[in-house]
Amino acid sequence: MERWRLFKEKERLLSTAEGLSIDDTLSFSVSHLSSPPILHLYRFVPSAIVGRYQDIEAALRLDRCRERGVEYNRRSTGGGTVIMGPEVVALGLGINPDNPGLKGASMGKIFEIFAQVLSDALTAFGIEASFRPKNDLEVRGRKIAGLSAAAEDAKSILFHTSLIVDFDMELMQDIINTPLIKLSDKGYSCFSQRMTAVKWEAKSDVTIWDVMESIEESFKRYFNIKFKEENPTEEEVIKIQELIRERYTNKDWIFSKRHPRFRMGIGRVKTKGGLLEIYLSLSGASIQDIVITGDFFSTTKDINRLESTLKWTPAFKENIKKTIDSIWYKDMIYGIDPDILTEAILKAKESQVRL
Amino acid sequence: MAQIKGYEMPDDLYYHEEHSWARVDGTKVTVGMTDFFQKEAGDIVFVDLPDLEDEVSQGEVCGKIQSRKWIGNLVAPVSGEIVEINEELEDDTTLINKDPYGKGWILVIEASNLDEELDNLIYGKEKVEQFIESQIKKAEEERKKT
Repeated sequence: MERWRLFKEKERLLSTAEGLSIDDTLSFSVSHLSSPPILHLYRFVPSAIVGRYQDIEAALRLDRCRERGVEYNRRSTGGGTVIMGPEVVALGLGINPDNPGLKGASMGKIFEIFAQVLSDALTAFGIEASFRPKNDLEVRGRKIAGLSAAAEDAKSILFHTSLIVDFDMELMQDIINTPLIKLSDKGYSCFSQRMTAVKWEAKSDVTIWDVMESIEESFKRYFNIKFKEENPTEEEVIKIQELIRERYTNKDWIFSKRHPRFRMGIGRVKTKGGLLEIYLSLSGASIQDIVITGDFFSTTKDINRLESTLKWTPAFKENIKKTIDSIWYKDMIYGIDPDILTEAILKAKESQVRL
Repeated sequence: MAQIKGYEMPDDLYYHEEHSWARVDGTKVTVGMTDFFQKEAGDIVFVDLPDLEDEVSQGEVCGKIQSRKWIGNLVAPVSGEIVEINEELEDDTTLINKDPYGKGWILVIEASNLDEELDNLIYGKEKVEQFIESQIKKAEEERKKT
């Protein structure tokens, strides 16, 4: 039976610099120090972490973060902003993509495999979670965990997840600089209808320790492995310190300008089904965030599914239409069809302004 | 253009095993990502390119490519200086998906050690076929193991 390494931090809350540096070291060790896969389970101090290629100043209200003592940083994997803290499980995994448990999966499939492992972990609490393209784990149509990844090289990948056990919606609303939400003035419901947490979904009382334990067990079952709990080696500690110094406390990294232009726009279309409003955030030529709202008739689950699937889709007519068609069924939004929805999204794109 | 197992792999290009391609014109080498890569990766949302005049070595990661929430590597197929980058990718990264060997080119390297380094790349229909088949076979074998 294959033995993986486990770095587990139960008591201490890690700074963003330390946690992210350890995570980068996981894939480094697998690739350069011949380590078996390493799972890192831990918690951050209250913090906001943006994706590798996000504009941090557009994504966060940094003044509010500072006033509230919320750390901010940039991770090395893709995706959007995550709010971390004592009630969110942070997971880093360094693994060789040729590991038998990954079944030779393509990049997209690897996300589904990890989503499956997390979903199995949640069944222990009576929660039925499932993978939602492109990169989320959802419960009843609401996001409970986000997944992201980066290749160290051909021999190793770093996989990141944040699993929400509980969260402070007011804090999230205050520090995330989501222009869509500010403009729509529907911020609170925007988050509450789109996100959930283990404590809200579980059939019984659950602690964050129970969740960490369950994730560990789920990895063992899925990959048919054993864990050896240990601390980073001396060589790894040197790498961690180097990353803290040179990357995660370095302003050039945190405020990196290497990201696509961030813009947003609003599209409104009157339809047979009612008013359709689109709030669109664009990152370069791709949809980074989308809110579909209005007075039409549909379900929260379907709207969340459409929004989630449209994220990271190139904002061109043929790509948008193809993405909508891939999940559309008759009357998904009553009185609206994929062509009208595509038109509203393109209208929002046309009205885009730079922030 | 050569079709190998459903992937377009032009015969006249050199390929690095990390899925970058190289088109040689004198000492200038145009670089992009293969059809195999773009089909595996899906929609490309951002390309983090090196700067002009940067020196790169063969096999070195010289850029990052983000698709969805995945970040992959652009590996330099040859050593040399970056002399041109495709600025059109800034507005439309999906050119890599739509036209990986044409409008989706990524950068040009002024090669410094071309004669020696071309031998390290995959070239010729037969070898490219073997390479793609081995990639597909590898995935299939891994699936069988479980």
